Amino acid sequence: MAEPEYPQLPANAENISARGFNFHAGPFYRLTADPDGMGARYAFKALEKHMNSAGTVHGGLLMTFADVAMSRTARLVVGEGPSSTVSFSFDFVGPGRLGDVIEASVRIRRRTRSVLFQGAELTAGERLIALASGVWRIGG
Amino acid sequence: MSTIPAGYVETRLIDPFEIHVGPVHERSVHGGQRYALLVDKRHVNGRGVVHGGMLLTFADAAFGQAAWRATDFANTVTLGMQAQFIKGVREGALIEVEPEVVRQTRTLLFIKGDFKVRSETILIVQSLWKLLESK
Repeated sequence: MAEPEYPQLPANAENISARGFNFHAGPFYRLTADPDGMGARYAFKALEKHMNSAGTVHGGLLMTFADVAMSRTARLVVGEGPSSTVSFSFDFVGPGRLGDVIEASVRIRRRTRSVLFQGAELTAGERLIALASGVWRIGG
Repeated sequence: MSTIPAGYVETRLIDPFEIHVGPVHERSVHGGQRYALLVDKRHVNGRGVVHGGMLLTFADAAFGQAAWRATDFANTVTLGMQAQFIKGVREGALIEVEPEVVRQTRTLLFIKGDFKVRSETILIVQSLWKLLESK
């Protein structure tokens, strides 16, 4: 039997889930930052532990990935100081499957002194998986 | 460090990801069901605060249980979820929620809940669910 041909993560993918819940739920990867510094792309590969009983990727894990991706993107403009999610909205458009490489493409829409507005699309190849948006608080 | 209070029983989780991040506990309260998550070291981020993704996963699990009970154990899927993170909490916190099914139509459920530590609301979630079929 031939091995199933699952998509692979790019060779330059950087693991960003070193500790805590990111480590437990991941691994999640950063792919590239947008040239203008206002967005970035991330990915993870759907493993057995990420699934639900219906055989699709669990919604909680998809939302976790989107939160991680947008929180990392916030650091592009905020730096290493604290920033945290205050508002998060997520629409489940289509199912993710075992073995999928699911990508998040994040864009920062507006930054004020105290908050950051972001949006993200999650895709698996050509399939749209989810739409996410949120507001991040800048500072502790 | 808190523990699971008496009266709670462990929720029977079947989704691999929920089993991976759980356990979740539940108890009956005045006609509804209350769900609890005891935050442990797996659930926090690098600053020691519970991860937003873990809170959203707990919300998805608790509301999924509520949807399952409300539909006489039909299959449902999450269509959308909106959350406001009001206060960060740390390892050892017991987070409780009583999901409310606001409306149920032939194909949709509207579910919301206030997540509390003791009596303080730390998270508000509302969500939309699709009813797939009756069993």
